[in-house]
Amino acid sequence: MRHVLVGLFLMLSVTSLHGDPKPAAKIAAVGLRIVPSNATLWGASPSQRFVVLAKGRDGLERDVTDLAQLDVMHKNVAAIDNAALRARNQGETTLRAAFAGHSAEASVNTLDLDVTIPFSFEREIGRILTKRGCNGSDCHGGVKGRGGFKLSLDAIEPRSDYAWILNGGGFQVLTPEALEPHTPRIQRDAPEDSLLLLKPTRAVPHEGGRRLQEDSDDYRTIVDWIRRGAPYTEKNSPEGTAAAQIERIEVFPSEAILDATGEHRMVVTAYLSNGRHEDVTHQVRYQSLEPNVVRVNLDGVVRAKSAGVAAVLVRFVGHVVSSRFRVLSEPIPAFPDVERNNFIDDYVFAKLEHFHILPSETSSDAEFLRRVCLDVTGSLPPPHRVREFLASRDPNKRTKLVEILLDSPEYDDYWAFLFSDLFRVKGNYGWVHTFYRWVHECIEENKPYDQIARELIAAQGYNGPTRHYLIDLNKPKPVERVVAESFRVFMGRRLDCAQCHNHPFDRWSQNQFWGLAAFFGRMTNTRWATSNVVFDDPNGHEANFGSLGDSLIFRPLIHPRTKDPVTPTFPDGRVLSDTLRRDPRTHLAEWMTSHRYFAETTVNRVWGRFFGRGIVDPVDDFRVDNPPTHPQLLDHLARDFEEHSYDLKHLIRRIVTSRTYQLSSIPNESNIDDRTDYSHALPRPLLSEVLLDAISSASQIPEMFFGTGAIVGTAPKGSRAVQLKHPAAYECSFMDAYGRPLRKTIREDDNGTSLAQALHMLVGKTYTTKLAAKGGRIDQLLSEEASDQTIIEQLYLATLTRYPSNAEENGLIEIVESSPSRRNALADVLWALVSSREFAENH
Amino acid sequence: MHRKRNVGRRAILRTGALSFYSLHLADFLRARQAFGAEATDKKAKAKSVIMLWLNGGPSHIDMWDPKPNSSFAPISTRVPGIQVSELLPHSSKHLDKISIIRSMRTEENNHGVGHHNVLTGHRPNPSMAFPSLSTMVTKELGPQGSIPPNVMVPRMHASYMDYYRAHFLGPQYDPFQVPDPSAADFEIPNLSIPESVTVERLLGRRSMLDLVDRQYRAKVKSAEHRKMDTFSTQALNMIMSKEVREAFDLSKESEKTKDAYGRDRLGQGTLLARRLVEAGSRFVTVVDLHRPGTGRDWDTHGANDSQHRDHLVPWVDRTLSALLSDLSDRSLLDSTLVLVTGEFGRTYDHNSGAGRDHWCHCWSFVLAGGGIQGGRVVGASDERGAYVADRLVTIGDCHATIYKALGIDWTKEYMHPVGRPLKIANSINDEAGKPLDELF
Repeated sequence: MRHVLVGLFLMLSVTSLHGDPKPAAKIAAVGLRIVPSNATLWGASPSQRFVVLAKGRDGLERDVTDLAQLDVMHKNVAAIDNAALRARNQGETTLRAAFAGHSAEASVNTLDLDVTIPFSFEREIGRILTKRGCNGSDCHGGVKGRGGFKLSLDAIEPRSDYAWILNGGGFQVLTPEALEPHTPRIQRDAPEDSLLLLKPTRAVPHEGGRRLQEDSDDYRTIVDWIRRGAPYTEKNSPEGTAAAQIERIEVFPSEAILDATGEHRMVVTAYLSNGRHEDVTHQVRYQSLEPNVVRVNLDGVVRAKSAGVAAVLVRFVGHVVSSRFRVLSEPIPAFPDVERNNFIDDYVFAKLEHFHILPSETSSDAEFLRRVCLDVTGSLPPPHRVREFLASRDPNKRTKLVEILLDSPEYDDYWAFLFSDLFRVKGNYGWVHTFYRWVHECIEENKPYDQIARELIAAQGYNGPTRHYLIDLNKPKPVERVVAESFRVFMGRRLDCAQCHNHPFDRWSQNQFWGLAAFFGRMTNTRWATSNVVFDDPNGHEANFGSLGDSLIFRPLIHPRTKDPVTPTFPDGRVLSDTLRRDPRTHLAEWMTSHRYFAETTVNRVWGRFFGRGIVDPVDDFRVDNPPTHPQLLDHLARDFEEHSYDLKHLIRRIVTSRTYQLSSIPNESNIDDRTDYSHALPRPLLSEVLLDAISSASQIPEMFFGTGAIVGTAPKGSRAVQLKHPAAYECSFMDAYGRPLRKTIREDDNGTSLAQALHMLVGKTYTTKLAAKGGRIDQLLSEEASDQTIIEQLYLATLTRYPSNAEENGLIEIVESSPSRRNALADVLWALVSSREFAENH
Repeated sequence: MHRKRNVGRRAILRTGALSFYSLHLADFLRARQAFGAEATDKKAKAKSVIMLWLNGGPSHIDMWDPKPNSSFAPISTRVPGIQVSELLPHSSKHLDKISIIRSMRTEENNHGVGHHNVLTGHRPNPSMAFPSLSTMVTKELGPQGSIPPNVMVPRMHASYMDYYRAHFLGPQYDPFQVPDPSAADFEIPNLSIPESVTVERLLGRRSMLDLVDRQYRAKVKSAEHRKMDTFSTQALNMIMSKEVREAFDLSKESEKTKDAYGRDRLGQGTLLARRLVEAGSRFVTVVDLHRPGTGRDWDTHGANDSQHRDHLVPWVDRTLSALLSDLSDRSLLDSTLVLVTGEFGRTYDHNSGAGRDHWCHCWSFVLAGGGIQGGRVVGASDERGAYVADRLVTIGDCHATIYKALGIDWTKEYMHPVGRPLKIANSINDEAGKPLDELF
């Protein structure tokens, strides 16, 4: 009804694929296409799902497969059966679809119909276990399995699955022996009595419910397999010549939009090692990550539930891919012509346009100034700079400002602070100083980030980065932690789980974990606490270094399950050759920093700082079932970062000069619920250290920091919290209330509000004595005999980086004028400003 | 001046302070919701917990599980057949209220990881942070009135605080840290209104804040805004509440009571704990850190015997017996569960420095009150107190017992953000702990 029918176009009402009546969506088509546009059907009884898509005048493509008139030109070659093509004889033909006055074609090939594909356990049984959800992480694919039966997640390890099915038992962390009882899941002499069939058909009680019907193809496939003796591969086709391997899978659509009541078929294609591809739409498991936005049924038909964005995961023996769906409440008739500053905007706005989300306006100068100063330097601009920037008519003032900020000493301090958190700068005596110095120099020199990473991972001797390998006075960190932390920091993957068992939601195996651990296995250090030297000892023995003390006794690295010594092995299976093992961490560092994960993770982490969420979020939790929101943007950013020699400043410049970054935080009707697609800036709470510094700069009363423990003495007067080498090592009641990392683990941004903060805000020192202390901003302004109006304006500029509105100014002046103490009242204005959410958030 | 003041009042009312006065009850209810108090077993008697944490690990054979290899003689107690060390003369008279688990076995033998194991029920795992017992109890029971539900006195070393926190459960369950109440300048940080700021001024500030933040909040939406409002109201209630102020005010206690608990940090901290549970706190952890003046703590790697005899046990003995008498006199014993523990026990043999080292393989955990049967001994150690001889009790069993006394379903699980389910009472091999039924 919203879209008026215009002469040429036929109007049709779409009924549900499931046949139930629903409000008719009117489609005025402007084009038609078939996906896939060409199909090759091969092997025994092949089929190919297709989707017919009509493009409407509103720009949306809708699935009209059920409504279109379909025809195959050569009926002896292929036939249509339930939105799929089935091969009949070898040949070539064309599939034709007609709808609303438009038509489309797809070419179809059929060949090798007499070839029998050799049986493969992985392919035939693994796919059933995956599609039916048996090997999901919440069922038998869980770490220890379920109900005494273990399977690998998504059939990643078919060999193990085969053994679990034949022998039964559960996973044990410390031994390769299976947990008792060992109940075989199959009975070769009576296939139908196999637990593998009795359980999912609920012939016997099954906690997981009914998963399989007795009359299904999958049931028959399993019975036949057991009857044939339950082989791993067919006897007459030795392993290796068996079925082609699946190299990757692709899903169509990768991104699509649905009306409020829309539906969309998916098509999933497997690409094989023999160069062919195959339709596996009906063999995979579908899973909506936001079931209140879209549901997806067993056949891969996605149905809209409510407005929003949702990812749908597709799982197929050892492979996971995803696609994103946007459910619209109302399409936007015309997307505005938004100016694009760089490639970031191309991807972001293309997606917004595709998803019918209107971006917010560009931020005001005041909004931008505050945001970019906080993001790039962790500090607020002083009032005179605010006035200057707001008054400037230079069309390039934003770009110029960015350059000034990137070159400022505040940038160096702030990013040294952020990376000190990430690298966990702490320690005893001089260590924290030497470690921090190194981080600060890296930032000051704008050292290429891959070099920073290599220096840290391969650190030897007594220089700064070696300190992160030590925890207490003279103990090196356990290798397990080193591996998990380095991988999380530089490769964005959380391997910790794989220390004890294969990763529960990802592909990381315990063997990969220990292969990586072995690179650190020869690391040792001299015991003498004050000059503790870190090095790799190729011989692996205790050594005496005279005045330097002796090295620690080696703990040989043993795989916790197999009890075998581990050898340095890259996650791709390559073993580091013996001759290179003098310096194993150097080789690991080279491998890590040249891997795409490294660049991807870094750009994603930095991006997260500027937008409050990563393209993959959390920023260091890349997982197959945690897909990126903008995969191509992530890829382009990573490539751009590599091509610009891992230059952090270049990356930051790219981000903050994009239009996307500069959008306002004020939402519009179409984007108010968007949290993932960057249609407007999302408010982010300031880090506690940055917030404290902001209060100090607003009040012009510096904080005094008294060191405790390892850090002795007081930080130089006027130090900002972000300049402290290890903020948690100083006494500070503010940061006690607002939280600060001990740097024992990688910082999680959990600086949400709390009762302790609210209390501190009401009566804590920072918000009471500090704000109006002698010599501060209020004092200065009073001594200059400034008017209430001037003072209030100045306080606004110093806190919120903007002028007060008339209502604000008049309201506050009235309160101040009527107060018994002008000084107290002005201090209260400052209190209100620094206690506001507008102050506490970057927006 | 006086006229102007009145105008100020009007300005305050107009800009929103009215909401503060009129919303008291509703705000309170909202604050309570934020905590998500859950239904609990009405039959359970305990409503609060006081935990005396003997930091560093007390020697079980020199206290609750006397053995020939202790330098101290066993003495009889009020309960025939149960003996404790001669270092506990006062507590021995309360053994009808006290039960001792002598067969604790935990899995971590160093301070940090031992804290983690005993306080969270889990062994440390680098990929996730676990909430501590006090925060889980607080979450399950919810707050009562404006009093902080979870309190810790005095402050713990910053580096150990992570073992006491709620982590993913949310900061509203974290312990509220109180400094040493025996100190001359004791005042509660962030709870006492400084002289420069009157209540009137606090309210005036709030109305200014409403004015300043109105424009931003109308434009930019964030769930944090409402959360902060809830906390602000709660905070203001706490500061303004007479009950809360008085709960922290030890001057309300008689000199006799103060003496009975002991004038030291542990004694006054425990007395404060009693006042707090009386006022509605759910869990108060009293940490016995190293003793001011002596520098001693429970980590007696050297001179174990003299330290236990001269610097450690007598203080705990006095304070514990004063607490049990006091709770009993005030009819609070049934509603207050008292726990006495550290992160592990100590070795059955002396080391070369006459000290005893860490020992998690067999040690004693003490409970009293809260509807738990007193005068019972659960399990037994071998003849040297080295290993469990009978009825192994895990930390999960211990936590399950505590939950049961409080009427909390001990089989409950939380889902950790990493996607791994966590049992609130976690025993070994991923099993849920089982309550010690002989104590009910």
